[in-house]
Amino acid sequence: MLNVTEMLEEIKNSPYREIEICAPHTGRVNFAAIQQGSKVEGPHGLWKEKPGTLLCTLDRERNPKPIAAVEKGELCLLHSELEGCFVEAGTRLAVIRHLLTRDEVQAAILKKALHLFTAPERAKYYFVPEIDKKVRTSGSQSVTVKDGMELFIMSRMKREVPLVYTGPAGLIYAVYFTHTSNVDAEQPLIGVCPPDQLAAIQEVIMRVQTEWTEQG
Amino acid sequence: MDNSIEKRIQSLSERLNYIRDIFDNKHTEDVNLLQGRLATFSERAEAGSFADPFVELKSLEDLFGYVEQRLDESVTPMDKVRIVRHPQRICLRDILENVYDNFTEVGGQDEHSLDPSMLIARAVITRRRGKKSYVQSVMVIGQEKGHGEDFRNGGSVKPWGNAKAQQYMKVAETEGIPIHAYIFTPGSYPVEDYPGAAQQIARNIYSMAGLRVPIVSIISEGGSGGAEAIGLADKRLMLSHGYYSVISPEGAAAIEGRLKSGQRATPELIEHCASCQKITAQDNLHFGYIDAVVQEPPLGARPYHFDFFRQLRQEVVRATDEVVISTRLLPFFKGVALRRRRRVDLDLDELHIRWGLTSAAKDRLVERRQQKFLKLSRNACRDRRPWFSKAMAQVGNMLTAPYNRFKYDIYRRHQRKMEMFFDEIDNEWQLFKQRLFAPWYKLKRSLPRKAKNDDASKELTALSTWTGDARRRKWNYISPRYKIDRTITCPNAAQYGCLDLWGPDLFAEFAGVCSYCGYHFPMEPEWYVKNVFDEGSVFEFNSEIEAGNPLNFPDFDERIAAAQKKTGSKSGCMTFEARINDIKVVVAMFMGTFRGGSVGAAEGQKFVEAAEIAMKNRYPLLAYVHGTAGIRIQEGTHGVIQMPRCTVAVRRYIESGGLYMVLYDTNSFAGPVASFLGCSPYQFAVRSSNIGFAGPGVIKETTGMDVPPKYHRSYHALSRGHIQGIWERPQIRANLKQALLTIGGRNLYYR
Amino acid sequence: MGKSNKESNVAPAGGLIDVSSHKVLVANRGEIAMRIMRACVKLGVAFTAIFTKEDTASGHVRLAKELGGEKNLYRVSSYHDANELMAVADDAECTAVHPGYGFFAEDFRFARRVSKRDRKLIFIGPSWKIIRELGDKINTKRLARSLNVPTVPGSDRPIYDEMEAERIARTVFDFQVQQGIKRPLVLVKASAGGGGMGIEEVYDIDNFRSVYRRIRNYAMRQFKDEGVLIEQRITDFNHLEVQIVSDRSGKNPVHFGTRNCSIQSTGLQKRLEVAPGFSPDEINYSFDARKVLDDIVHYSLTMARKVGYDNVGTWEWIVTHDGSPFLMEVNTRIQVENGVSARIASVKGEGGVDLLAEQIRIGLGEPLGYNQQDIAFNGVGIEYRLIAEDPDNRFTPWAGLIERFGWQEKPWLTMHTHVPTDVPYEIPTEFDPNLALAIVWGENIEQAKDRGRLFLDSLELKGCKKTGGELKSNVAFLRQKTAGILQF
Repeated sequence: MLNVTEMLEEIKNSPYREIEICAPHTGRVNFAAIQQGSKVEGPHGLWKEKPGTLLCTLDRERNPKPIAAVEKGELCLLHSELEGCFVEAGTRLAVIRHLLTRDEVQAAILKKALHLFTAPERAKYYFVPEIDKKVRTSGSQSVTVKDGMELFIMSRMKREVPLVYTGPAGLIYAVYFTHTSNVDAEQPLIGVCPPDQLAAIQEVIMRVQTEWTEQG
Repeated sequence: MDNSIEKRIQSLSERLNYIRDIFDNKHTEDVNLLQGRLATFSERAEAGSFADPFVELKSLEDLFGYVEQRLDESVTPMDKVRIVRHPQRICLRDILENVYDNFTEVGGQDEHSLDPSMLIARAVITRRRGKKSYVQSVMVIGQEKGHGEDFRNGGSVKPWGNAKAQQYMKVAETEGIPIHAYIFTPGSYPVEDYPGAAQQIARNIYSMAGLRVPIVSIISEGGSGGAEAIGLADKRLMLSHGYYSVISPEGAAAIEGRLKSGQRATPELIEHCASCQKITAQDNLHFGYIDAVVQEPPLGARPYHFDFFRQLRQEVVRATDEVVISTRLLPFFKGVALRRRRRVDLDLDELHIRWGLTSAAKDRLVERRQQKFLKLSRNACRDRRPWFSKAMAQVGNMLTAPYNRFKYDIYRRHQRKMEMFFDEIDNEWQLFKQRLFAPWYKLKRSLPRKAKNDDASKELTALSTWTGDARRRKWNYISPRYKIDRTITCPNAAQYGCLDLWGPDLFAEFAGVCSYCGYHFPMEPEWYVKNVFDEGSVFEFNSEIEAGNPLNFPDFDERIAAAQKKTGSKSGCMTFEARINDIKVVVAMFMGTFRGGSVGAAEGQKFVEAAEIAMKNRYPLLAYVHGTAGIRIQEGTHGVIQMPRCTVAVRRYIESGGLYMVLYDTNSFAGPVASFLGCSPYQFAVRSSNIGFAGPGVIKETTGMDVPPKYHRSYHALSRGHIQGIWERPQIRANLKQALLTIGGRNLYYR
Repeated sequence: MGKSNKESNVAPAGGLIDVSSHKVLVANRGEIAMRIMRACVKLGVAFTAIFTKEDTASGHVRLAKELGGEKNLYRVSSYHDANELMAVADDAECTAVHPGYGFFAEDFRFARRVSKRDRKLIFIGPSWKIIRELGDKINTKRLARSLNVPTVPGSDRPIYDEMEAERIARTVFDFQVQQGIKRPLVLVKASAGGGGMGIEEVYDIDNFRSVYRRIRNYAMRQFKDEGVLIEQRITDFNHLEVQIVSDRSGKNPVHFGTRNCSIQSTGLQKRLEVAPGFSPDEINYSFDARKVLDDIVHYSLTMARKVGYDNVGTWEWIVTHDGSPFLMEVNTRIQVENGVSARIASVKGEGGVDLLAEQIRIGLGEPLGYNQQDIAFNGVGIEYRLIAEDPDNRFTPWAGLIERFGWQEKPWLTMHTHVPTDVPYEIPTEFDPNLALAIVWGENIEQAKDRGRLFLDSLELKGCKKTGGELKSNVAFLRQKTAGILQF
C-alpha cells in the first residue's frame, strides 16, 4: 500500500509547480501593468467564469488578445524584454510559481494509487459517445469500466480507431486527457479504482483533505 | 405606570421611528423635537410626576399628529418609496381583515404556499338594500409583503406565484365574480425557472386583457413588471402615498449613473431619479394611467388607521359598481347611477347592485377595457404625421374596413364553397371523358411509340436552366464592418477551438456566423430588412411617430436626438409591410441599436398601429426583436403602460384570427418580453441570442444569486419551454417561409 | 512595403518584372515546402518558411536554416490558421504567399483575403474568383456543358424537389440500360458537399427515395442546404489529368501533357502516377487513345481560356473503357505529382523543367515567355509516393520512428523528401505519413518500369514503434503495381 505520509512530506518539501505561460500564437506582445514577483489570480468565480489576472496582450492582425494567468501564484519570471516584440508561437512569456492546492495534491497522490490505463500511441483521445455523455452529465466517477470494454476513440492521422480498456474493473477516478491535445504513448489516460481498493483510496483522500492546509 | 400609558408611549415611539425611517435622516429638527418631548414625557410619567398623565399624553399625541400632518406636505417621491417599503406599511392581510367582511385564503397559507408572496383569497362584502342583506363575493389577488417576514420575500413574486394568480383569475372568470387586485410589489423575482418570470407575466397580462369579469386594481407599490402581472384592470385605484414606476429609483440611478454591478449610487442621484420618473399617485392620475387616488392618512397608512380601511372599502366597492354599471346599455340610467355613486356622502354599503353580468355585458366589459388601454399614452410620443395624412388614414380606414370585411369574411368563405362545387363537376367530367374516349386511347397505346431517348440523354448531358433562391449567392446587405481589415475572436474559441475570424469574411459572406462553431455575432437591423424579405418589397409606415421625452427627463432630449442621428431612425421601432415569397406580412422591428431597443410611448404606439393594420388587412404579424433592453426608464409609466397596452393590441389581433410570431435576436429582456412579445404562442430565437427577464447583474442584486454563464442563452430558453425553436441567421428567410406555410393554416389571414 | 503589388495580380504590358524584389511566404510543410524554397532560390527570390512544434525535426525546417536569409523561419501555432500566416508575412515583409498543396491551396477565401487586405500580397495561384468558380463542382459542370465539354451524365444543378429527383434518377438508369451497362448505378450526392462526404450509390430505383431523403437530411444538417446532385456512377475507368500552365494575362494557356493516376489506395488516394496519360505507341487500347488524349487536352485548354485561367492547374478526367472522357473537376493549384510531368517535358529544347519555379515566376507577374510549340515531351515518367502505411490493412497509416532511410543516387532518379537521411525521424501524428516522392524516368515504358523496380529494390527503409512493431510501408505495393502501368 502507498505510504501517504511519506508522499505528503515529499510534496510539502516542494509544494510548488512552475507553470510556463507561452504565446499561443504569433503576435506583438504588450505586457500589462504587472511586475515580476507580484501575485496573480487564476480563473475564479463559481464557474471559473472570471478570467485570471491579465499578464499581457498578444496583438495579431489588429486583434489584441488578452493572455491571463491560468492559476493563482507568484509571477516568478516575466520576459519583459519582449515588450513590443513580434514573437513566434510558443515563445515563453512568463512563469508562474503556483502553490499546489489540496485538490492538486490529492490528484498527484491518487495518480500513484490508482490503476492507470495508458495511451498505446501518441494521439488524441476521446471517450466513446455514450460514456462521454455520462461523464459530462454526472462526472467520471459515475462510470464503471470493465476489462474488454470499448471505452475510447483514438484519433490520429485523420483516422479514428476504437480503443478497448484492459485492466481491473472499477470506477474512473481521474481523467488525464482533454480532447484538444495529444497524449504521448504510455502517458496515462484514466485512473481506475477497483472496488476492493475503494476504502483505501477514500482513506488517501481523507488524509490529504485533513493534512494538507492550503496557504495564501 | 398605567399599562395603557405604556402602550401608548410604545406606539408613539414606533411612530417616531417610522418618521425617522421614511425621511431617511431628513427633518431632524422635527424628529429631535418629538424625540425630546417623548423622552421627557416618559421620564416624568415613569417618575409619576404628572397630575393627569392622560391630558399630557393627549397633547403629546396631538403634537405628533400635527407634526405628521405638516411633514406630509413635504413628502418627496423617494420618501414615498420608503413609506411603501416600511414594515409598518399596511399589507394585504391587513386589508383582507379590515376591508372585507370575511375571507378564506386559497392557494396556500402563510409560509406554506407555492409562493407566500402571492396571496389569493375568496372574500365577501355584505351590503344591504333596505332590510335585506346581500353577500357579494370577490376574488382578492395580490402580493403580500407582510410586516417584514422573510418568507414573504418583500412581495417579490416568483414565476409560479404569478401562475397561481393567473389560475385563480380564471377561476373567478368561471365563477363570474369580480377580481380585486392589490399591488404591493417592488417587482417580480427575476428567475428563469419554468414558467419563467417574463413569460408568465406575459401570460397573465394576456389573460387579463380578455378576462370576462370586472377587475379593479389598487396600487400601493407598483414595481413595473411585477405590478403589471395583476394590474390590467377596468379601474385602477392608487393609494396616495404609493408609487407606480418602471424601475426602482435605485435601479434607475444605477443605469443613469452607468454603474457597474456592486457599485452603489449616491442618495442624491437616487432621489433625483425618483422625482424625475414621476412615480407618485398624483403624477399617474394626471397621465391617466390610474383612475382615482385613495387618500391615505398623513405619512401613509399603517395597520391602526381604521378610518382609512373604511374609506378604502367604499372606494373599492364604488369602483366595482362603476365597472358593472358602465357595461349597461341604457345611457340614461347609466349616467344617473354613475353620478349617484360619485357622491362623497353616500354609504355604498347601503346600496346594493348585482355584480354578475350577462354574456353581452361581458363582451362590452372586455371591449371597454381594451379600448381604454389602447387610448392611453397616445400623446406621450411625438406624432409628426401631418394632420392631413392622419385624417386620410382615418377616412381610408373607414372605407377599407367594410371592404375587407366583405372580402375576407363573406366573399372568401363563399368563394371556397364555389371552388369545391366546380371541382366536383370537373371530376365528374373527367371520368365521363375517360369512359367516352377509352377505345381511342387503347388504340393509341397499341401503336409503336417513337423512342424519346434522345431527349433524355440531352437532359443528362446538356446545360440546364437554373433559377431560384439557391442560385443567389450574395447578400443584399452586408454589415459595414466588413470594410475593416482585422480579425475577431469568437467567444466560444476556448471551448470549441475556433480560430480568429477575418472581419471582412465574417461580416459579409458569413453573415456574422462563426464558421467553426456557429456562434452568431450581432448584425445590424438593416441586415434583416434587406436579406429576409423579398427584395424591394419593404414599405415602411408611421416613420413620423418619434420617440420623445414625455417626462422632460433632464438631458434626455439630447440623448434621443443622438440616437436618432446615429441610427437614422426616429424611434426604436420600425414598422413595415413586406413580402416573403409573395406572402404579405406586417413587421414591427425593435432595434437594439436605438437606445438598446428600449420601448417607450412611440414604440408602443407604432406596435399597436402595426397590429391594427395587420388585423385590418388580414396579414400575418411578425415582431422581429433585433434587441430590446426593456421599457425605456426615462419615460416612466408612459413606458410601463405599453406592456398592457400592446398586449391588448396583440390579443385583439390574435382573437380575430391572426398569426402572430416573434423572433428574438441579440438580447431581449424585461418589460416587452414580459408582455406583448412573451404572450405569442410562436416565439423563436436566432442562435446565440439571450432572452429573459432581468440580466445577471440585476439578478445578483435582487436575489443575491450568482447566475451561471449563458443563463439566458436561447437554447436554455428553449429547454425551459419559453421559446419554440432556434433559427440560424442565414436560414431565417427559409424558416419564416416554412413557418408561414405550416403554422399559418387555412384559417389564417395570409390565405 | 507593397511597392510591387498595388495592382493585384496582373502583369504589366511588356512584362519586365523583377522577381528578385519579392519575398515569398512558404505557407506549407514537408517536401512541397522544400521544393518551393529551392525554386525560390533558383529564381533569386527570398522566402520565409513556417513550422509548428510537431514539425521541428522536419527536413523543411532544416533546409530553411541551411538556405538562410533574414527572417526566413517562424514557428506558428498551426498551418491551418490563416491569421498566423498573415502575421508572419507582415513581420517578415513578404510580398507573396505560396500555399503549396492542401491547407489553403484551394481556399478562395484565403486567396481573397491575401489580395484584399490592407497590406496586399500576391497569392501564388489562380486569382480568387477563378478558385471560387472552379472550386464549385456545380459551377464547373455548368461551365463545361456550356462549352460542350463532356461531363458525367446527370443533373447540373441542385435538385430540391423529391419528385423531380426521382424522375432524373429514373432517366439516369434508363440512359445506362440503353447504353448496355449491365449493372447501372446512380450516385446521389449533396451538392454543397465535398471530399467524399454525403455521397451514396443507388443500384435499385426502388431504394432511391430513402437514399435521397437520407442524403438530403445529411446535407441540411451538415451544409445547411438541401440540394442534391444525381449522376451516373461510372465504374471501371482510368483517372487522367491535364497539366495547364498560364501566366497572369490568362490569354495563352499551355499544357504540359497528361498523367495517368489510376493506381490508388482503397480510399481513392493516388499512389503512383505516370506521364504521359496513355502510351498508344507501346500499348494496345480498345479505343483510340491518341484521340482521347488530344480531346481532353483540347477541352481543358478551352475551359482555361474561357475563364482566363492565370496560374498552374490540373483538369481531372475519367476515361471509360470505351474511350469516353468525362470532366471530373479542376484542381486550381500545383499538385503533388507535378514533377512527373515536368520530368518528361522540355521547353525550347531545354530539359529540367521545374513547374514550381514556373508557377512562382508567372505568379509574381512574369509573362510565360514561350508557347505550346516550344514544349516537347520525351520518354515516360513514374512517380512513386512512399508512405508509411499498411496496404494489406486498408492502407492504415503507420506512425513511429524512421531509423534508416536511404537510396542510390541515379541520373534517372529524383527524390523529394522531408525525412532526414542522416538522423532518425519521428513521424508526426498530425499529418499523413508521407515519406518521399520518387520520380523515375525511362526512354520508354519498359525501361521506366525496370528502373522503377531497381529503385524500389535498392531502397533502404527501416523503422520501429516505441511500443513495438516494425515499420509498415507501401514499397511492396508500389513494386507490384509497376508491372501494369498505363494498361487499360
